[in-house]
Amino acid sequence: MAQIELEHITKTYGDKTALDDISLCVRDNEFFVLFGPAGAGKTTLLKTIAGIEFPQKGLVRIDGKIVNHVEPLNRNISMVFENYALYPQKTVYDNIASPLRSRLHRESEEDVQKAVVKVAKMMSIEQLLDRRPGELSNGQRQRVALGRCLVRTPNVYLMDEPLAHLDAKLRHFMRSELKEMQSAFNTTTIYVTHDYTEAMSLADRVAVLNHGRFEQTGTAHEMFYLPSNEFVAKLFGEPEINLFPAELTAEGGSVRLKAFDGEVTLTPCADVVPELEKGAKKLDVGIRGNDIGFSFQQEGRDWIRGTVYANEPIGNKVVMTVEALGTKIRLVAPNNTKAELDQEVYLRFNEKNFIYFDYETQKFIVRSDMDRYLRS
Amino acid sequence: MRKKLFHKSVDNGFAVKNLSFSCNDGEFIGILGPSGCGKSTTLRMVAGLEKITDGDVYINDVRINDLLPKDRNIGLAFEDYALYPPLSVYDNLAFNMRAKKIGEQEIKKSIDYVAPLLRVDDLLKEKPTALSGGQKQRVNIARAIVRRPGLLLLDEPLSHLDGKMRQTLRQEIKRLHHEIKCTTIIVTHDQMEAMSLADRIVIMKDGELQQMGTPLEVYDDPANVFVAGFIGEPPMNLLPSTILRTEGRFLFSFEGSDVRIEVPQRYASIVRDGMSVILGVRPVDVLIADDSAASTAVPVAVYEDLGDERHISVRIGKSLLNLITEDDVYYQQGQIIRLLFHAERTHLFDPKTGERIRA
Repeated sequence: MAQIELEHITKTYGDKTALDDISLCVRDNEFFVLFGPAGAGKTTLLKTIAGIEFPQKGLVRIDGKIVNHVEPLNRNISMVFENYALYPQKTVYDNIASPLRSRLHRESEEDVQKAVVKVAKMMSIEQLLDRRPGELSNGQRQRVALGRCLVRTPNVYLMDEPLAHLDAKLRHFMRSELKEMQSAFNTTTIYVTHDYTEAMSLADRVAVLNHGRFEQTGTAHEMFYLPSNEFVAKLFGEPEINLFPAELTAEGGSVRLKAFDGEVTLTPCADVVPELEKGAKKLDVGIRGNDIGFSFQQEGRDWIRGTVYANEPIGNKVVMTVEALGTKIRLVAPNNTKAELDQEVYLRFNEKNFIYFDYETQKFIVRSDMDRYLRS
Repeated sequence: MRKKLFHKSVDNGFAVKNLSFSCNDGEFIGILGPSGCGKSTTLRMVAGLEKITDGDVYINDVRINDLLPKDRNIGLAFEDYALYPPLSVYDNLAFNMRAKKIGEQEIKKSIDYVAPLLRVDDLLKEKPTALSGGQKQRVNIARAIVRRPGLLLLDEPLSHLDGKMRQTLRQEIKRLHHEIKCTTIIVTHDQMEAMSLADRIVIMKDGELQQMGTPLEVYDDPANVFVAGFIGEPPMNLLPSTILRTEGRFLFSFEGSDVRIEVPQRYASIVRDGMSVILGVRPVDVLIADDSAASTAVPVAVYEDLGDERHISVRIGKSLLNLITEDDVYYQQGQIIRLLFHAERTHLFDPKTGERIRA
């Protein structure tokens, strides 16, 4: 159990900056997710906390103590790697037991056995304890690696994309199981992933990392509903959020949005107007696929006409890509939606769910019903 | 209307076992299965790259077993691009036609038609090394269709590409098929790819056909427990269960769990006390109910808010039963909820054979 603090961490490789003046405080007992695209610096940051990488600048504190010069093994951390890194010659039992038998800990064999059996039960691998890693499936190996990490309670668990190598189905189950176990962790966890569903499901708080800098830190709920900029908005949600430019105009005293070369006029909700009027006239409007209605008949004059570009099932729903107004708009349709390519389709945006960004800076301005999303 | 018919009963040391299916002219067929299921072998037999031990392959009712690959009028694109590195994109596209002594003028006409379809018309002068993975695969597919073959075969064309590019090219392959209407067979291990591209899907496992049907058929009406678990994401809940009969009602019971779930009425005539089944139900078909006699009270084990939808899991013995709702609800771990199964969408499977038990 410990609080982890990073102060002004900078890490460069040659002339490439991997971490750029990163400051962060992960609270004691928090499940903290580092999230971002490949190459963002997530793993480097995790390794800096572990003591495997050394920052050129900045301090790392664990439990209030500066640990920059403390060897990894003396930092009392437990790590699980993307590629599992199990000892191939050791049985599952001995792999899981290994942290407890290390020079530092040297627990009695009786205690070791108790701890191994307990964690093996938690991971549902009791029946595999005599096997070697080579005899296990990918999913089983990953459970063993997690078990080895969780077998003792260190200052902090560091987990580097532990589910990334599993196939989609296994990943789904393991994510839920990890979430179920979370309350039993009883220590701080820092978890790296590039999968937004893992971030949304597991995290108490998330930090979005991009080019070695934080784009946003907060709850996953905030990332999804109140993204601080377009980059974050695009990372959360499947299909990716639709973004289109629009211009703020006044028509006979009412505020309107002109979009798609003036072909579409939209009416922003009343509660966002004051905020919109403060800023620049040019905006980017974001709307998620769930918030767009569609019909194969023209339901009303304000419905936008388009054609079906693609109609693809993504599991329990269909993502329809519609070509309209010179752009492609992605929307979510029910699982049994049938559509021919190039078929006519009509769309309607739900303006209540527009997220407004500044066109120039791509930074978040406002969305309707802000209070509701600020609750979490 | 030309009809293409494949009929194979093959025994390649059991790479593919007694497989028969046919596809219609202009159809897009997906061959789907886990690695080692024989899907690529099947494709290679159609292409003539793999000897067929036993059985026949027909194209337009002509048996083609003994035809050389080059005489089958087939276009082929594999997972790796196999472009000629010293040649430009144009020369790569022209290569096979030049080998066939087709005139340069006709070659140019063919390339001018195909290149824009795959958005490689701006790349014709480039060498393959200058191209991204997605561009190389576009060129590769363009080369496969440039001679307008009767049949296009694609073997995992998207699996080398990263997420976004894969999505884009997947849509473009579908659009390409829509444009040229060439009978196409794609081999893939990715169920989402097969579901979004194919008119009908051939699902294979261990060299054997499991089911052939439209995407909705294999999703809604799986023939066996393998198909049920393979198609759909998040996957179908598959729970081993024993049927109990109490007070004239049938209930699903589960090892290591007190949870009892009422067996849908439509199965009343085929279940009996003590029968072992696998109960299959998709996460979207488990509903949260109000107090009703038919619903089952269970504590929430996991609550996940994923933005667009919320996933809730309850523990039933060793398994987690997952359900998905788009309703804006919040549950704490341990909170009691009542579950109701969508009766029409609850499937039973035989735990020994894996076959579907139909009402």
